[in-house]
Amino acid sequence: MARTAAQWNATPKFPASHYVDSRIYTDEAIFNEEKDKLFRPAWIIACHESEIPSAYDYRLFNHPAGVPLIAVRGDDAKVRAFYNICPHRGNTILYDPSGNAKRMTCIFHQWSFDTRGSCVEISRAEQGYQDRFRKEDAALREVKCELGYGGFVWVNLSDDCVSLREFIGGALDILEPYMQEPMEVFHFHKAQVRTNFKLWHDTNSEFYHDFLHYFNRITGMMQPGYFDRRYTGFANGHATVGSMQIQYDKYEGSQARAVGWPGMAPGGWYMVDLFPGMTYNLRTSVMRIDTSIPLGPNEVLIEFRGLGLKRDTAAERAQRVFDHNTIWGPFGRNLHEDLLGVTGQGRAMRRGTDSRWVLQGREEGSTIHDEIGMRHYYAEWSKRMGRPAYDPYREGKPEPVRAAA
Amino acid sequence: MVKSEQRQAIEELVYRSCLALDAKDYQGFLALCDEDFRYAITTYSPEIRKDMVWLDHDRKGMETLFANLPKHNSDHSPITRHATVYTVEMGDGGANVVSALQVFRTELDGGASELFAVGRFHDTVNLDGAGAKLARRVVRLETRQLGYGYHIPF
Repeated sequence: MARTAAQWNATPKFPASHYVDSRIYTDEAIFNEEKDKLFRPAWIIACHESEIPSAYDYRLFNHPAGVPLIAVRGDDAKVRAFYNICPHRGNTILYDPSGNAKRMTCIFHQWSFDTRGSCVEISRAEQGYQDRFRKEDAALREVKCELGYGGFVWVNLSDDCVSLREFIGGALDILEPYMQEPMEVFHFHKAQVRTNFKLWHDTNSEFYHDFLHYFNRITGMMQPGYFDRRYTGFANGHATVGSMQIQYDKYEGSQARAVGWPGMAPGGWYMVDLFPGMTYNLRTSVMRIDTSIPLGPNEVLIEFRGLGLKRDTAAERAQRVFDHNTIWGPFGRNLHEDLLGVTGQGRAMRRGTDSRWVLQGREEGSTIHDEIGMRHYYAEWSKRMGRPAYDPYREGKPEPVRAAA
Repeated sequence: MVKSEQRQAIEELVYRSCLALDAKDYQGFLALCDEDFRYAITTYSPEIRKDMVWLDHDRKGMETLFANLPKHNSDHSPITRHATVYTVEMGDGGANVVSALQVFRTELDGGASELFAVGRFHDTVNLDGAGAKLARRVVRLETRQLGYGYHIPF
């Protein structure tokens, strides 16, 4: 029997940790707060070391908190990150998304900076500034930058942030044995979709939606071991999912993957979701990395990377690319389905639709269709935002911010 | 030198390939292709400074892809492929044909159309035997942001 308005709006019959208020996906003020409270203090993947292999190689990155960044490898091989903002008149310094620049020169007035962030040239400095302003006063704003966890370049906007190791904690331990060899990015694309960034992270954090994917049902859900996969939550809102042996040959026209990953069992598949919006996804022969860059309450840009091993032969790399594209490329079977799914959520939850709640009530002993991954995320979200996800405006009974699920 | 009737046959082949895929007439599309047909979608990423392959199948792979599509959840918005044959040059392995490509997507609800992608077809056309056949098609995309993507090749 269908429900009335009162029934539709009534608090779900679950513990408060098992649902969220839909308005956390649509509210502009909450969105702006998220940028400050979630993204600004978090370590975020800007790029991979293989994208800037040589001295003076740089890569631009639009940080989810809104700051345009340059990640650049210096003459000392160290990777540093700076605001891509000229300290003179606030112009963009570098325009191309990647390149090699011994000197980073603003096209506007030719102020020039080296790869350590020092200003090395101010055009007609003495004539204009006399001794009132010097190059030393015009260095770039540097942000925290560390390499780690598979050779990724991590950045943090906060000068007093915790270390990357402390931020990650044990969340990536499950992948550590498989990230001992240098990797290399072979695929990069962006997808801009009308949905909230958390809904993308949710989709990476729950496998119940495997019903959406024919490929996953045939090669995973219907195979032994699938329902044994187990979620583990970690500090700071991160979560992992254990592996199984995916039966790739069960998909018509497909076969067992010809190349695997050093140390990993055939058909293995590990996922690590990192708060507030990144995912490591090692699926048998390919590492995929998602980095969400929220653009608005109902708009997100997701950067997708595919990686193989740096030592791949041409044939091995071609196979990894093929495997990647079968499910994950812009024309792949699964990625389109996932993006279609979250776009549908964005459509149904946009402001004014009277969407009210999102249920996260499945409990199956923390195994694959349990929704504990999402609950774990929103426990951290609530803590960092200082507002419970189930009642973000505190309209209901006064209750403490919920503890981790 | 390309004879005018050859050029006409090649242009018609390119345009018919668009019409067939627009209509999701996969058998009709494959009927335009050689037995050794190969299809690829490629692009260059200025971000990672690498050429990328986004799809690469032989004829059997394309047949399997088409056969599997109904089992998947897909965007049902129709797309239309607009090609213009720019150049036709005769080579050892057939005619090398370069066409401009624009792909538009039309919303089912309301019918609004928007540009989805631009790129080029780089086709190799076999002119042996009965008429022109596609031996190889490389779709070289300029557009790399495709929103939630698409299941049917361009």
